[in-house]
Amino acid sequence: MATVSRTEVSDRYLAVYESARFATLRRRSNALIAWASALFYGWWLLVIFLAAFVPSFFRLRLVGPINVGLLSVFLSLNFVVVVSAVYLRLARTRLDPISEQIQADLEGDQ
Amino acid sequence: MTDFLALPQPTPVNNTWAAPVLAAGFALVLGVAAFVLVIRARRGIRTTSDFLLADRTIGPGRNALAMVGGGLMYSTVIIIAGHVALSGFDAILLLTAFTMSTVLATLIYAGPVRNVGGYTLGDLFALRARERSARTASAVLTLVVYTMFMIAVLASIGLAASRMFSTSSTASTPFVATVIAVVGAVAILFVYLGGMPGVTRVLVLKVCLFIVLVAVLSVIIMVKYRMNLFHLLNDAQAKAAPNPRGDLLSPGRLFGKGATFASHQDPWVHLSKIFSVAAGALGIPFLFMRFFVATSGRDARRSAASASMIAVAFWQCLIILGLGATAILGGKNIGKAWDTRDITLPKLADNLGGKWMSGALGGVALLSVGTLFAVLLLNAVTAVVKDVNAARGRQLEPAAELKSIRRSVVVIGVLSIVVGTALAPLLTHIFIPTAIDLGGTCVLPAVVYSLFWRRFNTRGLQWTIYGGLALILLMVVFSNGVSGDPANAMFPHVNFKFIDFEPGLVGVPAGFLLGLIGTLTSRERNDAAFAEMRVRSLTGAVIHARPERPATDGALSDRKYQNQALTETH
Repeated sequence: MATVSRTEVSDRYLAVYESARFATLRRRSNALIAWASALFYGWWLLVIFLAAFVPSFFRLRLVGPINVGLLSVFLSLNFVVVVSAVYLRLARTRLDPISEQIQADLEGDQ
Repeated sequence: MTDFLALPQPTPVNNTWAAPVLAAGFALVLGVAAFVLVIRARRGIRTTSDFLLADRTIGPGRNALAMVGGGLMYSTVIIIAGHVALSGFDAILLLTAFTMSTVLATLIYAGPVRNVGGYTLGDLFALRARERSARTASAVLTLVVYTMFMIAVLASIGLAASRMFSTSSTASTPFVATVIAVVGAVAILFVYLGGMPGVTRVLVLKVCLFIVLVAVLSVIIMVKYRMNLFHLLNDAQAKAAPNPRGDLLSPGRLFGKGATFASHQDPWVHLSKIFSVAAGALGIPFLFMRFFVATSGRDARRSAASASMIAVAFWQCLIILGLGATAILGGKNIGKAWDTRDITLPKLADNLGGKWMSGALGGVALLSVGTLFAVLLLNAVTAVVKDVNAARGRQLEPAAELKSIRRSVVVIGVLSIVVGTALAPLLTHIFIPTAIDLGGTCVLPAVVYSLFWRRFNTRGLQWTIYGGLALILLMVVFSNGVSGDPANAMFPHVNFKFIDFEPGLVGVPAGFLLGLIGTLTSRERNDAAFAEMRVRSLTGAVIHARPERPATDGALSDRKYQNQALTETH
């Protein structure tokens, strides 16, 4: 079992890391995470800072008892569902095909 | 000294809602049901991986439910409902922060962490730092968080007991201690017998019961208001106790000047609480553990995303319950003091569904906090068996390891109950936000750097973990949860506080900064390890050691492997 040395395993990971396919996967994954996090947490930070420092804006009445603050909370909660669903979908269509290929290549060779 | 230890007397309440006999009946039935689940799980446990990780066979559906279940505790369900009833909009914003943190799990933690594999955070850290240092850092962090959370969770078993299993107006110490000891012992037994498979089943049971209960109560409220949310909101607004800082449905009750006792730090106090929860909640090691047990990285990602959707639905119902309590019971009849907010939900349950509903809530609440102790214990044992042993360079035989794990369950569990029961009369609620701060200050930067920063190294890890830990603990000592606030502090008779805001607000950026400085001041760097971690975390590929290996292969002959892979999948 111990004939495959640590360096050989390491070399193979390094070779995959430097392949063009993996570069695509890495770029797509990073872009997806960065965009999703920036949009989502940007929105959320805006909401809590407005609540803390511009409460008069959140007190503006819209319809019946609903004010801007309640609407923002409602949107934030549903934004969680949207971000999760969109991320799952994009990960499945944009990331998984490449990552499955690479995984199969690395593991299938055993 | 006696003055120093003189305990604050909790505000007495006129307990009209508790149905002790029914609640005890429910708790007993649920306990037996959970025991059956655990016994059935026990049969499949043969190896360490079975015991600690359920052999990574927990599918995305069950894992999603278990993830949500890990977040349901006394403070995030019972207390938060009362908090919403009392403080309205500002409390709702805090409640939504729980769901915000689940997005962090979906986007960053779940997939990569599961793909890298392993049992603990230490396995991920060990890929980027020297093994021993990585293991030690993971063990220290996990055990510190465990100790804090364990104390707070055992105290909440006591709270559930005195609110829902007794009609007395104040907590009776012998009664509370007995319930903590009994529930704690049952939880130890569950972990001892069922390990991760058993605990996961009980978590799923708990979360399903809680969802049904909360959904039923919400539906009853909405039917009362003929499905008209506007009526409900108007009624809540009208009947809420007046507050100079703002209406129930607009910001101000917790953000406004004067919301925090003897402090000039508003609105930063409440803002910092919301921020810390959103940044840190999912970084707590016992919640983090759920990523490791998923069947694959893709399933971990799926379960995290489903968990966040379930959590949104659950906490949206809790908003209805909180505001419904104000609307139906009236602002004068809900828990009005900081330490009586937890009577609101039981009182509402009694009002809407009578003693049976109140008893059911009591039973589910007790099962819930008991399960949480079991989850925590399992996490602590994993850290001890995997990280501590690895840090000390001890490698146990598989058979001996399983025995050692079960022994650790009993030793750590019993020790915890003794400590937890002794500390239960203190106001130890501060430990939960502190643990969440550590999730944001230590775990978030360490994991983000480990996964994304090529340069990250041992010193960076140590500075993040130990620096963050020291910073948070130091700030907590000088916070109003420890001294200076007569109603809120652990030691109300002394005053050396100067921090009212939640330490996580400073801690999260500080954790990132510490990791940055630590890393850059050390010359250690390992690009090959980074490449390996990246490939593993994004693809889930693991290269196993093989007895032989042709000299010509390598990832360069891509096409050959691709074809081979294709034929294998067909």
